[in-house]
Amino acid sequence: MFAGVSLGMRERTAERIVRITVFVGLAALPALWQGQYALGLLTLMAVYGVLLIGLDTTVGYLGQVNLAQAALFALGAYGTALTVQAGATLPLALLAGIAAALVPGAALALPALRLEGPQFALSTLSFATLTIIVLNELESVTNGALGLSIVRPPLFMLRLNATSFYWLCLVALFVAWESSQILLKSRFGLAIEALRDSPTATDALGIGTLRHKVLAFAWGSALAGLAGGLHAMNFGYLQPAAFGYDLMVMLLLGVVFGGRRSQWGAFLGAAIVAMLPNLLSNHLLFSVLVSLGCILSFIPLIRAAISRRVPFFRETAPAAAMAIAAILAFFVPNMEEWRKGIFALFLFAVVVGFPNGIAGAMATRLYQLIRFAPLPLPPATGGVPSSRRSSGVALRLSDLCKSFGGVKAVEGVTLEIRQGETLGLIGPNGSGKTTLVNLISGLYAPDSGSVEIAGTQPARGSLMSACSAGSARTFQNLQPFYGLTALESIMICQQKREKSEAMGWLAAVGLEEKARIRCSEMSYGDLRFLEIARALATRPRLLMLDEPAAGMSKPDIFRLVDLIASIKQAKVPILLIEHHQDVVAELCDRVAVMDGGRLIALGTPHEIRRDPKVIEAYLGSDNTETFEQEAIPC
Amino acid sequence: MNTEFLALAQMAVGGGLMGMAYALVAYGFQLTHAAGKAVNFGQGELVMLGAFAGLSLSTAALPYWVSVSGAMAVGAALGWFVERTAVRLALQQRNEGWILLTIIVGLFAVSAAENIWGREDKPFPTPWPEGALEFFGISVTWPELAIAAGALGIMTLVELAKRYTMAGIAVQAVSADQDAAELCGIRSRSAISLSWAISGMSAAFAGTIIAPVTTVGPTMAASLTLKAFSVAVVAGLDSSFGLLLAGIALGATENISGFLLGSGWREAPGLILLILALALRPQGLFGKKIIRKV
Repeated sequence: MFAGVSLGMRERTAERIVRITVFVGLAALPALWQGQYALGLLTLMAVYGVLLIGLDTTVGYLGQVNLAQAALFALGAYGTALTVQAGATLPLALLAGIAAALVPGAALALPALRLEGPQFALSTLSFATLTIIVLNELESVTNGALGLSIVRPPLFMLRLNATSFYWLCLVALFVAWESSQILLKSRFGLAIEALRDSPTATDALGIGTLRHKVLAFAWGSALAGLAGGLHAMNFGYLQPAAFGYDLMVMLLLGVVFGGRRSQWGAFLGAAIVAMLPNLLSNHLLFSVLVSLGCILSFIPLIRAAISRRVPFFRETAPAAAMAIAAILAFFVPNMEEWRKGIFALFLFAVVVGFPNGIAGAMATRLYQLIRFAPLPLPPATGGVPSSRRSSGVALRLSDLCKSFGGVKAVEGVTLEIRQGETLGLIGPNGSGKTTLVNLISGLYAPDSGSVEIAGTQPARGSLMSACSAGSARTFQNLQPFYGLTALESIMICQQKREKSEAMGWLAAVGLEEKARIRCSEMSYGDLRFLEIARALATRPRLLMLDEPAAGMSKPDIFRLVDLIASIKQAKVPILLIEHHQDVVAELCDRVAVMDGGRLIALGTPHEIRRDPKVIEAYLGSDNTETFEQEAIPC
Repeated sequence: MNTEFLALAQMAVGGGLMGMAYALVAYGFQLTHAAGKAVNFGQGELVMLGAFAGLSLSTAALPYWVSVSGAMAVGAALGWFVERTAVRLALQQRNEGWILLTIIVGLFAVSAAENIWGREDKPFPTPWPEGALEFFGISVTWPELAIAAGALGIMTLVELAKRYTMAGIAVQAVSADQDAAELCGIRSRSAISLSWAISGMSAAFAGTIIAPVTTVGPTMAASLTLKAFSVAVVAGLDSSFGLLLAGIALGATENISGFLLGSGWREAPGLILLILALALRPQGLFGKKIIRKV
């Protein structure tokens, strides 16, 4: 429609300026909007802000539905309350609150984070239910359902009244916000995003899934503890029932409503969750809001009608939800009673209409309007000829076996790759090539036999251990880190994170122009090259390429052959699975042939082409002489 | 016989029978997970709505069997509705939004139930005779027997339908490989919708057999979702035989721990066992091992 305004400023600087302005405004607000009630709401909003920024770490960045945050919040609150009762000072009590949430949170993380999706959600839900039971029943400590009362302790001789406590909460929110942002933009945060998209690739490239998951969960728990501590001092009275399933659902929905993977989103969500009861009790304000929502949600429908097409589900569903909300708001006498239902309708409209939440939708708009100055990129250094040198044999497999149920996928494979050698691995589909690579790279544990990479034996069935022994691989079915840019994908694979070296790897595969592009927006061929660059960035002692040319166009295949040739020249040992015969014939020193899980031939490409067993595997038994041997990929 | 032991056995039997209802609700999770790899986090709400629907039909002086069938029809319609509104789009976009959307639909259901039927717990009328049967000194009431018979009956019927009707075989094909099924001319969307409707139906039926034992109320939903989900995950999301065992075990554990530790602690041991079971066998006790493919 119209060109965006170019802002001569980095995005991060602009965001920081806006944020500081908002915080100054919030700090000044009690002077304008007076009254104990308003102050209570604002304080609650700040506390929920800390809590939701923590929740966003697991729900947004880690991408796992975490239902334990309300319980961790409760643990933080009780931890603080009990230490205050024991006479602790304010900072000490807050620390106790953080510890009270962090320790059980980390303990839960270890078993729970090996799970995914529904199983993870369930284990956190069980933990939450268990926590509330314990708080209710351990009456000698928590005073059970009767509740626990405390008096807010002074901060270093300073008596805190409601306003100054609000300011303290704002400071806590700012600190939580800033530190979360720094943490999640660091290598650590990038690793979390990477493992959300592909845990297998994250482990195979030596980044490490489990410890990053545990750390993310621990960070979220610590913030829940801090929020809990502030909450206890704010209200002065705690009851287990207040931290149950209802609160949990509200928090989760607050994060989604505001926008996942964004501190702004968490803040907006917190504001909505805190203000909600108030919004619903004020009938006029609520009617205005519903009408506004109705108008907004009907715009896409009208647009669809004008362009004479059937509206999509994501356009009709929010409009229908808002229409029901409007009917409830204007015709139901006891609207207070329908609070949860109306909230659910709003949420439904937002989750369907804006899957990225309000902050996400606003950010998309802003990027259309304003262009920020991009981060400068350093010149490329390094490049392919810089592998870790080592002596001896690059890969030694002895009598390797793996079966799935009754299927012997790999049976008694013994094989060696010498230093600097490129070994081609060919065979008909289903002959066990990828399973062999999976065994070497540690995705599967072998049933028997051993793998030795560059002189060390990695732990069985451990991707991480195989990677630290020196193996690196690409995947037949792409495993990109969709949330990261090309440059970031390389940087998290490096031992030392030097941007210029990462640029060097990108230049080596011809992607230096696309450094800032997200993987989700890159083409299939580019992603294949990016996977090779990722593997190279770990500086492998053994590079395994699993059908790198699959699905590539002819010009891309020529590029690929040149690239592999240059890697070969740098004396990096390569195990290459490939079906294109010109690629295998041109690049490989020796070729191994698999059929039915067994190694049936090993030799130079020339020898393999004439091996009767290979011809039989590819073409069937009888008529070997009559056919041209073009089906054999070497 | 030792009275202490007899009391424990009584608890175990009562809990185990109730556990079969958990297994039936869990079976609903399994059906939808097999077809579309998604589960309804508002399944407990469907159980509650089914029970309320049955209650309303009974109070309208309809015979028991008619109201149960009516409740099952309502449940099937609601199951279909949840799939259409909350799950389909999110699964197409391949994100986890369905977890949240099913929670949201459940939230609305609770709010609606509170306003339509009220917040109090209500008794659910049945035609079963009063009193209890005695087996070896352990008494079992008729509604409890109805839970066992109903749960087994519905699960058997659905399993048979899955194996011997064309629609059931189509659903199985879709759960094995959606793309391949579509290439064979099976409408995978309809198959998924069908399994959500069946899942909703069994949830509603579960409501009508649980309610006579526990009473009906909006609060029954949340705890049922958790229990049924625990049963489904511990058993493994692909083993219907495991469901019954896990359900009975959970119900019995709950009752016994309530008896030994006090009613407040009733659910605690089951939850601890659940977390441990998940940590040790993420695919469930009876589930097939997941092989990662790349």
